[in-house]
Amino acid sequence: MSGAPAEATRFKARADAALADRILKVAVERTAGTAEAKRAVAVDAFPDFQAARTRAAAIKDHVVAHLGHYLEQFEANATAAGAKVHWARTADEACDIVIALCKAAKAKSVARSKSMLGEEIGLPHALAEAGIGRVETDLAEHIIQLADERPSHIIWPAMHKTREQVSALFKAKHRLPHEEETIAAMAESARRELRTQMLGADVGISGANFLIADSGAICTVTNEGNAELSLVPPRVHIVTAGIEKIVPSMPHAVHMLRLLARSATGAALTQYTTFYTGPKRPGDRDGPEEMHIVLVDNGRTRMREDGLAEMLRCIRCGACMNHCVVFRQIGGHAYGGTYPGPMGAVLTPVLDGLKQSRDLPNACTMNGKCQEVCPVRIPLPTLLRGWREKSWREGLEPQSLRAGLGLWAWVATRPRLYRMGTGMAVRAMRLLGSKGWIRTLPLAGGWTTYRDMPKPAAQTFMDQYRKERGR
Amino acid sequence: MNAREAILSRLKDDSDIDIATEAAALLGTPERPAVDIAQVEAEFLARLALPSVSASHDDIETIEELPAAVARYLDAQGEARALCLPPDPRLSGCDWSGFALHQDAAPDEAAALAIARKGIAETGSLIFETSPQAPMLPNFLTLHHLVLLRVADIAPWLEEAPLAGPQPRAHYWITGVSGTTDIEGTYVRGAHGPRFLHVILLRGDFPHMSEQ
Repeated sequence: MSGAPAEATRFKARADAALADRILKVAVERTAGTAEAKRAVAVDAFPDFQAARTRAAAIKDHVVAHLGHYLEQFEANATAAGAKVHWARTADEACDIVIALCKAAKAKSVARSKSMLGEEIGLPHALAEAGIGRVETDLAEHIIQLADERPSHIIWPAMHKTREQVSALFKAKHRLPHEEETIAAMAESARRELRTQMLGADVGISGANFLIADSGAICTVTNEGNAELSLVPPRVHIVTAGIEKIVPSMPHAVHMLRLLARSATGAALTQYTTFYTGPKRPGDRDGPEEMHIVLVDNGRTRMREDGLAEMLRCIRCGACMNHCVVFRQIGGHAYGGTYPGPMGAVLTPVLDGLKQSRDLPNACTMNGKCQEVCPVRIPLPTLLRGWREKSWREGLEPQSLRAGLGLWAWVATRPRLYRMGTGMAVRAMRLLGSKGWIRTLPLAGGWTTYRDMPKPAAQTFMDQYRKERGR
Repeated sequence: MNAREAILSRLKDDSDIDIATEAAALLGTPERPAVDIAQVEAEFLARLALPSVSASHDDIETIEELPAAVARYLDAQGEARALCLPPDPRLSGCDWSGFALHQDAAPDEAAALAIARKGIAETGSLIFETSPQAPMLPNFLTLHHLVLLRVADIAPWLEEAPLAGPQPRAHYWITGVSGTTDIEGTYVRGAHGPRFLHVILLRGDFPHMSEQ
């Protein structure tokens, strides 16, 4: 994969570092906490949000079941509107197509509107390798481009940065940086910095939130308006989109859009929702002269065949990570892949390989919160459990874990031995506890380094059960 | 086998169901926010005033009053009477004496005016399409975005936003001003595009429509 993100290996080391980073915790909590609260208000105000989720899931399942039909329909309509449609099996093929198009346009600089698919295929790296200047126009992407970092969230890529860190970055890198230490002044500094760069770009590159099959339109949603400012002035507009982004028609897109913004930010709709159908028309005063749409597979057809079709419902709202107790503790970078949080833990094994990323499906408490808030009802805990089972079947777990679980299974199938063992363990743990908590525990340092463990009750459940029955 | 054939070969669909009928059936009666269709204008104005949209508005009876309404707004904002005006005959037919008009937006454009084809009460959205008379860029470059909307064009729900039939190059919905929450989730107006949105409601008709 071109410019693949840091491998999802060494997850435990990254998670340890993230847990020890108090500033990161503050930054993640400020944004994710706000998003969680706003979503709750928006969902309460929407009549029958649960039925809307069921409908959205059914629409996406219908599309995934008939994906070939809809892709061909989209291609025919986009072509009729004057766009050129390209197909890419892999990330490398997609990058090669984009770079060839940029070179054909003699592009020195491209303006990019935030696209997670672009990150997934390693497009920033491919552009750099080709010597093509890249201007990230979404404010958060601009921040992380200046910091030379990767996104840590799919909606708020700079979620891990505090205002103090952003301020220092802009003062070091902007030509006319802010003077007042306010977030508004920092945003104004970025506006000054980016506007001329957007207007001077040779090519605009975007993703697509939706591809509309019956018209050949692509849809982008932003709150900043940076997509429109990045895609209208340049001579060439290139879209990279995953093949699962298709919806049959505009009314279907309307339904999905009602759920997308509410789930992502708690707004009824994003400030700017734009449907682009082909390039500039005769007489138009603005717009690109060429429009290219790169339809990217990169593992999606395999997901459909391998029992992960439900994951292709994902509309990239980020609600699952905003509500994930693990993400809220460690932030997005610890996951190591392009996509963080619960949806990332399902997707990263597809993109980077299960061997590299088998720790991610294990970094889940299975509390089900992600599934509860997902606007398209993806059964994320079930899919994560599927990866755990596959990892076990393929022998990817370390020998120590396999031996430990084997021993546990052997004991657990011998109830008398099991009860005797747990009874002894409870008594031993009570000796280690003080004032209701255990601060250190042999063989459980991974737990007690960051949190205390509750001291167990004086008797096991089975002891108490027997006593109650004996009365 | 090229990439297109390789991808489509893995997506073969042997079912004999009528896909279009199934897709239409999935829409049914959509779940959507409640809108009192007897009070659609009031519902629209209530959404315009929400902090997430934060647009101001004014009222005029006839399009002849439009320049005065624009002047009122610009004067109140302390802006010069300079305006980026698209080449739309419904706008250029007004008396713009006292205004400095231009058609191409400057990179630091202060004020631009456009006509919205629809307003949507459900969200407070304004609906636009591109055409030779309706460029897109001025509506994103400008600091003050002024929008003329006929009261008769306010519709309750987003389903009424798209045009039927062949689509224009760009069809776009504007629901507030350019904003960002990218730094610590704190909302800031005017991230890249307009910082102010002002809607002028036209109670009457456009001239050519009156003559029909």
